[in-house]
Amino acid sequence: MRQPSVIARRVAAASVSLVVAAGAAACGPEDNDAKGAGGDSTPHKGGTLTVLNSNPQEDFDPARLYTSGGGNVPSLVFRTLTTRNRENGEAGAKVVPDLATDTGRPNKDATVWTYTLKEGLKYEDGSPITTADIKYGIERSFAPELSGGAPYLRDWLVGAADYQGPYKDKKGLSAIETPDARTIVFHLNKPEGEFPYLATQTQFTPVPKAKDTGTKYEQHPVSSGPYKVVTNENDGERLVLERNTHWSASTDAERKAYPDKIDVRSGLDSSVINQRLSASQGTDSAAVTTDTNLGPAELAKVTGDKELAARVGTGHFGYTNYIAFNPKIKPFDNAKVRQAISYAIDRSSVVNAAGGSALAEPATTFLPNQKSFGYTEYDHFPAGDAGDAAKAKELLKEAGYAKGLTVTLTHSNAKDFETSPEIATAIQDALKKAGITVKLQGLEENDYSDKIHSVKTEPGFFLAHWGADWPSGGPFLAPIFDGRQIVKDGANFNTGLLDDKSVNTEIDAINKLTDLDAAAKRWGALDARIGEQALTVPLFHPVYKRLYGKNIKNVVISDWTGVLDISQVAVK
Amino acid sequence: MPAPGASGARQFWRRLRTQRAALVAAVVVALLVLVALAAPLLTAIEGQDPTTYHPSLVDSARGGVPIGSFGGVSAEHWLGVEPQTGRDLFARLVYGARVSLGVALAATVVQIAIGVVVGVAAALGSRWVDQVLSRFTDVIVAMPLMIMALALLAIVPSSFPRPVLVALVIGLIAWGNIAKIVRAQTLTLKGLDYVAAARLSGWGTWRIARRELLPGIAAPVITYAALLVPSNITVEAALSFLGVGVKPPTPSWGQMLTAADVWYQAAPQYLLLPAGALFVTVLALTVLGDGVRTALDPRAASRLRIGTGRKREAKA
Amino acid sequence: MSGFLLRRVLGAVVTLFAISVIVYVVFYVTPGNVAQITCGPRCSPAQVQQVAEQLHLNDPLYARYWDFLQGLVAGQDYSTGTSVQHCSAPCLGLSYQSDQQVTALILAKLPVSLSLVFGAMVLWLILGVGTGVLSAWRRGRLTERLLTGVTLAGVATPVFVIGLVLMIVVCGQLQLLPFPQYVAFSDDPEQWAWNLLLPWLSLALIEAAAFARLTRAAMLETLAEDHIRTFRAYGVGERSVIGRHALRGALAPVIALNANNFGGAVGGAVLTETLFGLPGIGQELVHAVNVVDLPVVVGMVLVIGFFVVVANAVADVLYAVADRRVVLA
Repeated sequence: MRQPSVIARRVAAASVSLVVAAGAAACGPEDNDAKGAGGDSTPHKGGTLTVLNSNPQEDFDPARLYTSGGGNVPSLVFRTLTTRNRENGEAGAKVVPDLATDTGRPNKDATVWTYTLKEGLKYEDGSPITTADIKYGIERSFAPELSGGAPYLRDWLVGAADYQGPYKDKKGLSAIETPDARTIVFHLNKPEGEFPYLATQTQFTPVPKAKDTGTKYEQHPVSSGPYKVVTNENDGERLVLERNTHWSASTDAERKAYPDKIDVRSGLDSSVINQRLSASQGTDSAAVTTDTNLGPAELAKVTGDKELAARVGTGHFGYTNYIAFNPKIKPFDNAKVRQAISYAIDRSSVVNAAGGSALAEPATTFLPNQKSFGYTEYDHFPAGDAGDAAKAKELLKEAGYAKGLTVTLTHSNAKDFETSPEIATAIQDALKKAGITVKLQGLEENDYSDKIHSVKTEPGFFLAHWGADWPSGGPFLAPIFDGRQIVKDGANFNTGLLDDKSVNTEIDAINKLTDLDAAAKRWGALDARIGEQALTVPLFHPVYKRLYGKNIKNVVISDWTGVLDISQVAVK
Repeated sequence: MPAPGASGARQFWRRLRTQRAALVAAVVVALLVLVALAAPLLTAIEGQDPTTYHPSLVDSARGGVPIGSFGGVSAEHWLGVEPQTGRDLFARLVYGARVSLGVALAATVVQIAIGVVVGVAAALGSRWVDQVLSRFTDVIVAMPLMIMALALLAIVPSSFPRPVLVALVIGLIAWGNIAKIVRAQTLTLKGLDYVAAARLSGWGTWRIARRELLPGIAAPVITYAALLVPSNITVEAALSFLGVGVKPPTPSWGQMLTAADVWYQAAPQYLLLPAGALFVTVLALTVLGDGVRTALDPRAASRLRIGTGRKREAKA
Repeated sequence: MSGFLLRRVLGAVVTLFAISVIVYVVFYVTPGNVAQITCGPRCSPAQVQQVAEQLHLNDPLYARYWDFLQGLVAGQDYSTGTSVQHCSAPCLGLSYQSDQQVTALILAKLPVSLSLVFGAMVLWLILGVGTGVLSAWRRGRLTERLLTGVTLAGVATPVFVIGLVLMIVVCGQLQLLPFPQYVAFSDDPEQWAWNLLLPWLSLALIEAAAFARLTRAAMLETLAEDHIRTFRAYGVGERSVIGRHALRGALAPVIALNANNFGGAVGGAVLTETLFGLPGIGQELVHAVNVVDLPVVVGMVLVIGFFVVVANAVADVLYAVADRRVVLA
């Protein structure tokens, strides 16, 4: 069908700005994704959004989920005290109030945090949400039957270390007070200026005690958000969400809730998901994915096609892939050896192994390259693009290995986004030039995970990665470099086994700050200082590129999650 | 009537030589084996090796697509380069032939050995022996490949050469079909006249098995074995797909197929090369298998003379 | 016949026992901290210990196997935290990951796998045996060459390559079919069939070659036998010779092969299921193995074992019917 010339001109004008389109916010006439006759791109209510995923929405119980900022699909059902700011880019890495009226009022040394709930908050059945429900939601996350989540609640709340959950321990957590139905107070063990970030996690969702069914709760959790769970098949294989009529937009500035129904399907192969989103036929035109990225092969196909390239959302999440050293194992106890390897690394071949420069950015710092982390650019051991073999050899000579060195690199055999075997071989190839012979030890994923996270079996030289529980230097640096977080008989993430008093003191000092910008600067400075010890070799930060269907509107990608926020999307 | 198989090796070769298609196939198979064995020599001539990365030969911004036409074909890289890594494809293909053909052949030998022994024993033995062996075969067949592979991989230390382990895993798991076919065929042959005649003449069970039955089951076994080799290559690919195959940077056709799968649209030659190589292997092995089977069966000569369609085959 | 059935049932029980023991032993020796995996990566040592106690992961092997047997025979009670639920016999336990009853999981996934395998079986028999017959009868004709080529390509290409290429070409480029998405037979039989067409084709293509070659070889063998010559001498039509007499002789190995392939495919079609997003037993099994979810693994493997045993029993019956010289063992 031939389009009238007026429309053609508007489409042409819009396509010029398509270059900037990736991840554009927008609602309004200059929206970059002009579609169809008339190019109407204002989002409207209605329709069904399909979500095509590889992984199921497992354990859809707020006590068990381990999310960064409340999750994508979960935050449609589980509102929390605070949540992430749903805006593009950097602005999206901030905390904003959700059920609460503000992001929390701390006492002088940030050991007591007080929140007040907004008025008029209701569950999907019309009953009111109270702070007692939030307290109960947090308490039940301690039950052994509902294991999962991140360790912060257990570590931060006073007296919570041995708490067994409400099914066994009727007394409850004394660290949480609810003086009335709209006020809640948290008592912490030590100062935590970043408590508002923690309050975005699903454990802070209200759960009515009368409706708690323990391990069965995930089949129909009571919704406080704009959608309620209508079907949950086979532990999250298929999740159907419909509008929660008792949710009111006036109490929720963050979620737009345009579609009437959301159908989350999983178990699909990732290449098939990308094929379907490319073809965008039938219901797929109103489809997105919340867990499947474009791989390098698909990226190659997409960059050649203008129409497809316009439907790719690009985002960054706080994540670093790196090489870790265990300084208790020879020869990695010698700092010069670690530095030599840092100089010898060829980041361009590692980046290529990870999918190319569009999908991975070379990293020389441990913190991700975003302002919210306090990113401070440094490159203590400049290897250039292709590695500095000469400098590496020189350092090895100084360390006493003039004739070269043979080491073993441990990696996982799992083919995942980080493509560990290919990255390991890229490193093996690069270090050859510096006279370092690398033997590869590939382990099955579970075995690998066991070995690297146990102080007793940690290998000397292995691939690792770390993601941000929230966009700040705290959860990025503390578990990895705080000596007090070394776990002797369990899962340990301080792989460098660093226990430096000055580092620990600095971490405590920064945790006292409630001014998050000031804290970020100091985290960045701390990262630069720790980087001098060459306990890790940062390799790259991944970039997430995802396709979405033809009819999807209002694509918002924050720097917090790095992916399309499903609460903002419209299909009409 | 002389018992089949009593004709001897010379007649076998004579009959094999008369089939042109089989001869061509034999040459192709020999060539493949030669290429696999001479892989280091061939890659030295080309001046490449299968593990060196060439990041400059791929377009990093576009996901690592090889630069240049036909996937980067040039005088230095005869078949182009691999996406993302820039490794030479010709080198990876010929080194991959070693691993794939080697693993597949070894696995096939193991499968045939175990399958024939179990199948014949089940068919000739007492009812109780048959039951036990058949149920044992059931257990092995029922055990999903993945579990067995993981089990063995977990138990065996990682210093054990991986290709050998993969060959053993495939061999030990997948002999069930051969055993079934052999058992079925043996049961049929057991009832035939010449076997009864041999029995009446007083021949012992194992003598009968060797001289009367084995040639009889040779036909379906060889036919199936010809398909087993390429099928084992795809099983090795499946194991790579599930993450438990040969370990990088060792190339194998199976691994290449697994990795090349998604590149079908952006860099089709990456998929077509190992797929094509595998197809040629299958074709050659199948035709050769047919020829060998025909040559083993003296009655085939008379059947060929009667003909079921093509006159020119009858040349014995 | 009743003797046969009795022996087979006993044999089945023994086989399934053996399988379950093997799986338990294999998982006992496989490395991996199951409690940590089940609890989550950030769980503290105390939490991990709690999970281990809850799931009896620190008990000795024989005690865990005994619990399993007890559950199988007498059912099991378990706590959801707020209440106590009963899992009635035969209870295969609860998934470590999702707390679902394994029997419920099997009942949900089995129809999918069976749909896939039955349909594919029909196709591979038609394609395989058909090509084999054609090869033996009409060697050298174009159709025969073409079909042989297709079946050989099928055995030479892994299923994930065939499947993906088929999907890209048929659904993406030519747009003849929408991308497959499983629809249950009870929901919409027509959609069920359309969506399973590509998976059936992919699976059938890889299995067909074996049947084609086997049929062809066996038919050629049979055609050379004396009684065939006799028929021909008496003037029995070629069609009849091929169709009734020669084909009969070829059936034995085909039936045997089919039994194994069918039984194995119920759990072994994991690559096809993964590629086409079919929530079947194979896919679930691989996932369970990866997260060391022992009850699910045992349950799934037992179901697969059951089908292998049944398929073989059926095959033996058919085999005896096809070739009257064989006695049912």
